Amino acid sequence: MTALFIKDKEFHDFVAALVGATPVYAPVAKRSLFAFERLVSADALRLDYDVTILPPKKLFFPPAQELLKFTGGKFTASVHPEEKVLFGVHFYDVKAIDQTDQLFAEKNYDVNYMAHRQATTIVASNIQKVSRRAFFGTVGQEVHPKGHDAYLTKIGTGYVFETFTPKGEALTKHGNFEPATDTQRAEVVKVNAAVLEQCPEKLTHKSAEIATKVRQAFKNEELWRECAVDCFSCGTCNTVCPTCYCFDVQDTWNVDQKSGSRTRYWDACLTESFATISAGGGHVENFREERGERFRHRIMRKASYLNPKLGGPACVGCGRCSSQCTADIADPVRIINKIMAL
Amino acid sequence: MNHQCHWTEIENIFMPREATIVRTATPTPMEKHFTLKMADGKPMTFEPGQIVEASLFGYGEIPLGFASSPTRENTFDLVVRTVGRVSSAVNKLEKGQSIFIRGPLGKGFDLNKLRGKDVLIVAGGIGLCPTRSLIQYIMDRRTEFKRFVLFYGTRDPKQQLFLEDLVAWRASKDVEYFETVDKGDPSWKGNVGVITTLFPKVQITPETRVVICGPPVMFRFVIRELDKLGIKRENIFVDLERRMKCAVGKCGHCQINDKYVCVDGPVFAFSDIQGLEEAI
Repeated sequence: MTALFIKDKEFHDFVAALVGATPVYAPVAKRSLFAFERLVSADALRLDYDVTILPPKKLFFPPAQELLKFTGGKFTASVHPEEKVLFGVHFYDVKAIDQTDQLFAEKNYDVNYMAHRQATTIVASNIQKVSRRAFFGTVGQEVHPKGHDAYLTKIGTGYVFETFTPKGEALTKHGNFEPATDTQRAEVVKVNAAVLEQCPEKLTHKSAEIATKVRQAFKNEELWRECAVDCFSCGTCNTVCPTCYCFDVQDTWNVDQKSGSRTRYWDACLTESFATISAGGGHVENFREERGERFRHRIMRKASYLNPKLGGPACVGCGRCSSQCTADIADPVRIINKIMAL
Repeated sequence: MNHQCHWTEIENIFMPREATIVRTATPTPMEKHFTLKMADGKPMTFEPGQIVEASLFGYGEIPLGFASSPTRENTFDLVVRTVGRVSSAVNKLEKGQSIFIRGPLGKGFDLNKLRGKDVLIVAGGIGLCPTRSLIQYIMDRRTEFKRFVLFYGTRDPKQQLFLEDLVAWRASKDVEYFETVDKGDPSWKGNVGVITTLFPKVQITPETRVVICGPPVMFRFVIRELDKLGIKRENIFVDLERRMKCAVGKCGHCQINDKYVCVDGPVFAFSDIQGLEEAI
């Protein structure tokens, strides 16, 4: 691991060189919002973003990911990873990527995700602006981000660029870096610690207490029914979540009616049909029929079910579900704090 | 770093294998019974109770339990109920055509917990299909098990599957077979009533190992009867059905609380899931 420093005006050249050398995906402005997109020029980079509309999981696990192509009875896999740099990822999104890395790799190794993930060099960056619903400062504090290859922190007149892997180290050849001083390194620690205190929303309890009490609230039917009374079952909270990775699989034909593809699409456990099976004769069985049941399932997954496996909650405090829920009922902080106060 | 050299060598969990249909039967207007063998000639190695994802390109994949025992080495059976796009397309296939298979997947019946014991299988409706993998296994290796009782219930006589098997089981000394229908018809001479009405007809000892597979509503009522008989919950094995899209523990559809039916099941000891609110 090395810590280097690059001045503001040379940082621009570094990003330009990177964009010239390899595909770079980074936060760019979408009118008043932000999105991870292919960076076409260094000028488009917006490291002052608060949060992106969709999390960067879309680069490894796109909304529609082809699994195979078929022609008649012949088929071939569709794993075509692109070597790329994912630049400017906030630490909460790195934590989320760490989770999907673990979950797609464990038991049955999912090469469709992992090939894209391994072809990616991740440069994390410090949070320069905190989004209005963020709570990353108080969620899963016991879990630290680990999947990034380098970490960029804006300090004073430039950036400190810390590398953690050979892939991260390899990027430094594109810029005019100098060794970071002890003062600059101390500033990095200060800046990254200070932002944790700036979240507008805060959980009142620690992960372990939350996991236990939320799980115990499972049978509080009235609570879940009330929480979900305004739910449209649209699944936006799932779609924008960096740790959600449920999917549907569908086959589609090409126009020749002989060939086609099998594709997985993001799916959402809040939608009505998510756990529904056909029983024949027009009968269906929906294992989570009520909105409250589906709402509860999501909160259980985020705050309790996966904790033993992940070492912390399956929520990183980005606040995307809170800010993008049409009815504004998805906010985990409100729900969890409410349960903890019962 | 060049990753492109190695990912193609890693097994891709979404790639199926081709199986050829060697025989079909149509036990009811709703179901089709396929006997298959792998196109590459390799045996399908599985445990009773395990599942596959069966697919037809252009239509999609569906999860199915093996409907035959691994003791029948050359072929394996799947039964498909016509309920949607994939099953409707699959059920148009005939001998010589192909079905694409991923599997075996999931955890089947723990045979070590059944061997040397009295076994009761309670199968409702299409629940006879996955349990047939165990029924055949027990019949083929009859000496490995003690007493064997089988309950089979359907909505009406026309819903009965594996008619040749039923004839054989009714006559067999290797299985004490009891059947019922919720609603009879003029031709039906047997028991009428839900599956729990079979319990008074036979003595079930408290040490019996019990396997249950059927529609969701059936489990609760059967377990209530087993409680009355003093059967321990670790000796009750339930074979559960859920929506599945991947069957490899990723897609999230089959999740029951913190368990995935596709990888942690579909067969569970009831004692392992009785605390899960969404299970039964």
